[in-house]
Amino acid sequence: MKRRALFTGFATDKGPHEPHVASPGAALFTNALVRTHENKQVRFYDDLIKGRQVVINLMYATCEGLCPQVTSNLVKVHQALKDRMGKDLFMYSITVKPEEDDPAALKEYAEMHRALLPGWTFLTGEPYDIETIRYRLFRMDHIAIDLDLNAHTSWLRIINDGTNRWLHVSPLASLYTVVQHISWANAPMSFQERLEANKKLQKQINEQVKQYGYRRSV
Amino acid sequence: MSKKKEKEKKGKEKKEKRVSEITRRTMLKISAAAGAGTVLAPMVLTSRKSTVYAQGTVPEPTPPLCNQTGPAPVSPATTPFADMMPVPNAAVPKNLNPAPTKEANVANGEAPRADHQRWEEFLPEVNYRLEARATEFQFHSDLLPSYIWAFNGKYPAETVLNNYGESSLVRFKNSLPDPTTSFGTPALTIHLHNGHTASESDGFAQDFEGFDTGFFKDNHYANRYAGIDAFGGLGDPREAMHTFWFHDHHAAETANNNYLGLNGMYIVYDATDPGHEFDTPGSLRLPGIYGKTDIPLILSEKRFCSTPSNGRNELFQVVGAGAPAGDKWTVNGRIQPKMHVRRRKYRFRILNTGPVKTFNLKLIGPDGVQKPMTIVAVDANFLRQPTDISATSTPSTLDVFVAMRFDVVIDFSQFPVGSSVYLRENQAQNVTAGGPALPDPAPGLPMVNVLMRFDVIGDAVIPDTPPIPNTLCDLPPIPAAQNSFTWAFQLLAGQPNPFRINGLPFDPNRVDHAVLKGSSEEWHLRNDTLPGAWVHPVHIHFEEGRILERTRRINVGLPTETTINVPLTPYEDSANSRRDVYPLPAQEAVRIRLAFRDFVGRYLIHCHNMNHEDAFMMVRWDIVETVAQLQETRREIAERRRALGAPPLYREEVG
Repeated sequence: MKRRALFTGFATDKGPHEPHVASPGAALFTNALVRTHENKQVRFYDDLIKGRQVVINLMYATCEGLCPQVTSNLVKVHQALKDRMGKDLFMYSITVKPEEDDPAALKEYAEMHRALLPGWTFLTGEPYDIETIRYRLFRMDHIAIDLDLNAHTSWLRIINDGTNRWLHVSPLASLYTVVQHISWANAPMSFQERLEANKKLQKQINEQVKQYGYRRSV
Repeated sequence: MSKKKEKEKKGKEKKEKRVSEITRRTMLKISAAAGAGTVLAPMVLTSRKSTVYAQGTVPEPTPPLCNQTGPAPVSPATTPFADMMPVPNAAVPKNLNPAPTKEANVANGEAPRADHQRWEEFLPEVNYRLEARATEFQFHSDLLPSYIWAFNGKYPAETVLNNYGESSLVRFKNSLPDPTTSFGTPALTIHLHNGHTASESDGFAQDFEGFDTGFFKDNHYANRYAGIDAFGGLGDPREAMHTFWFHDHHAAETANNNYLGLNGMYIVYDATDPGHEFDTPGSLRLPGIYGKTDIPLILSEKRFCSTPSNGRNELFQVVGAGAPAGDKWTVNGRIQPKMHVRRRKYRFRILNTGPVKTFNLKLIGPDGVQKPMTIVAVDANFLRQPTDISATSTPSTLDVFVAMRFDVVIDFSQFPVGSSVYLRENQAQNVTAGGPALPDPAPGLPMVNVLMRFDVIGDAVIPDTPPIPNTLCDLPPIPAAQNSFTWAFQLLAGQPNPFRINGLPFDPNRVDHAVLKGSSEEWHLRNDTLPGAWVHPVHIHFEEGRILERTRRINVGLPTETTINVPLTPYEDSANSRRDVYPLPAQEAVRIRLAFRDFVGRYLIHCHNMNHEDAFMMVRWDIVETVAQLQETRREIAERRRALGAPPLYREEVG
C-alpha cells in the first residue's frame, strides 16, 4: 500500500496516516447487517466496503439465461486478478432474491460455479436491507427497468471507496475489458507513476499502429 | 465547522496556494535559465500537488451530495426572467508550452495516443487551451452557486471559433480533483461532435486511459471538409458543417460528466457562413455576428438539492447512477433567462446537451400565438432549402434530441418595440417549487412552459440582413453503397445489460463492424424496442449521413403486422439535408448512406441519450486502410461473435 500512502500524503497535507475520506460512507452504502455464504453476519459498509476496492454484482441462485455466463466470466476475472483478491480487491455477489437465497443456497451456487474463492463473498440478508442496497448502488433511472431483476444481474459496479471512484462495466464484455476497468479504479498513481505507465501504454499503441495502421484493441 | 475554523482553513489554503505558485514561478525561472533540457521539471512539480492545492479553492461538497438515498428532491423556486441570458465568450488562442507534437508528448505529461494523422499536411495554425477543473457556478440569481466541473471554469465552455482551411489544436488539460466527492469521473476523453476528426483526436470512449488529473491531451482538428483525398487539401466544400460541440465521452460516465458541465460549442466558418454579415463573395448573409446576432442557445436539464449546504445549492445526483431527470431547464447555464433583441433577424444555434431530455420548442408571440422560426441548418449542416417550424408545419415543434443542433433564424422585426416573445418548451419545468402558479406571461402560455423570453427593446442598430436565400447550399451526391449493414437498437427485457446494439453491450476492445477507408455503405438503423418505449437519438461519429427512407412496423406481433413508410421531414430528407443524429422512435428504422473518408481508426455509434450510452448502448466500428485488413477484421468480428453466442452480422457467414 505504499502507493496509496504516497497519494494520500499529497491529498490531505495531513501526513500519510490520516486517509482522505472522499466516500459518502455508510450514509449511502448502509451498514445493514448482511449474511455471507459462510453464514457470517457482517456490516455492509464497515466490514465490506470501507476503504476497499470492490467489484459488486447482483445475482440470484435460480437465475438462468445469461446469469451463469456472467458468473463464469467472473470466475475468469477472479483468476486473472487472484493475486489481489482478498488483499486489496474484493468481489461481492449480492442476491436480489434474499427471501429465496439463504447462505446455504448461495454456498451451493458458489460451489456449483467453482466460485468458492478467496476474496469473493456471496451476500444475502433482510429483503428490505438488500433492496435498499440494490436501489442505492444499482438503481436505473427508468422504473420498468429498475424493477426488472434480470436486467440488474450483469452490471458490474467497480468501487474504490478509498478514492470514491465508481466505474461500471458489463461482465459480458471481454475478460480483458473487465480487468482493464477494474484497474482504472485502482488507487491513483503518483504523477511519476502515471507518467511511467503512460510511456508503457504509448509503446503498446505504437506497436499496434505499426501492425494494423491504427490503434487497435488487444 | 465553526466560522473561525473555516476562516483558519481558508487562510491555510490561501497560503498553500501562494506557496505552490511561488514554487511554480521560481521553477519556471530556474528551468528557463537552465534551458530547454529541463522543461520537464516544472510540469512534474506542478502536477498532482498543485491540482490538489487547487481543490482547496473550490471545496468539494460535504456532505457529498443531497438526499441521495431518498426520492429526488424538488429544486428551489426561481423567479422567471430575473437574469439576462449570458452568451459564452469566444475562446482566445493560446501559445502552448510545450509546443504540440505529432507524437504524443508523453514524457512531458501528454496522455498516450496514436500519432496525429495527416499532421504535416495540416499543421495547427491556431492553438487553444481548455482546462477542465472544479468551480462554482450560479444557475440563477435566486440560487446560491453550485459545484460544477467546467472548461477554464466557464459553463458553458467558451466557444471555439475556427475557419475552414485553418487547422486548430485544442489542448485539453485535466485539473479535476481526484479523489472527488462529486459524482463525476475525473478521467477524460473529449469528443468533437461531429468533426471529421482523426480517431486519436475523436474522443473515443476508452481514450481516457492515461488522461488523468495533471495530464493533458492535444486534439488535432484539421477543419477541412470531408473528401480531402478526393478533392485535395480543403476537401469537398459541399460537405460544409458549421455548428459543432465538444464534450466528455468517458465510457459509462458520460452523463454525469456532462451534467456537471464539461461541454461547449465549436463553430467553423467558411465563405458561405463567414462570421460576419458583410456582402462578401459566397456569403449567404445570414445573421452572423457571434454573440450579437448569431447566438448559441445551449440547453440542458438540471435538478438541485432543495436546501443549501456549504453555502451552495448543489446539483442533485445519485452517486453511481446515471444523471437524474431534471426539473429545471437551462439556456447557456441560466434558468428561464431573458435576452434583449432588436427588430431584425437573429440566428440561434440551438444545441441540446442533455443528458437525457428532449426539447420540443415553439416560438410564441406576445399574443400567445405560435410564430414561425426558420431552420437553416440541422446537425451543423445547412439545409438545401430552409424550412419553417410554425403552427402549420409537421411537426409544429422544433424537436431537439440530445446532441442535435438546429440553427434557426427568428425575425423580430414582426414584433413591436416593448413586446416580449417566448420560447415554449413542451414539458413543464418546476418554477415555484410547489407554490401557487404564476400568471401566464402570454395568453394560453403557462409560465412553467417558458424556456426563455426575448424582450424587443428597440429598432435594429446593426442593419438587418437580407432575406434568407431560398437555396442555401448544394448537397453532395448520395454515395453509392458497396455494402449494407444493420444496427439494431434493442431493449432486452429480462436480460442482463438490457440496452444493446445487435445483441451485445459496449466493449471498447471489441470491434463490431469494419469499413474500408474510401468506401461507402448503406446502414439500416433500427429501434427494436416495443411501441411506446424510448426514442433513441442514434449518433454516428465522424461522417454525416443521408436519410433515404424512414419506416415503421405497426401491429407488431399481430397477423396484421406490416411496415409502413413514414414521410421524411425537410430536415431529415436526403434531398434537403445531412444528419449525424437520427432520432428513432420505437419500431422505426431509417436507411442511410455514409462515406468513410480520409482517416482511419476507431469510431462509435451509440444512442445519445447519455444514460443509455452509459448503460452500454454503444458500439465501436473501425475504418481500416486496406482490403486485407478489412477481411481480417471482419473475420475476427465473426469469430468473436460466434464465441459470444451473438447472431452473425455479415451475410457471408449466413449464406
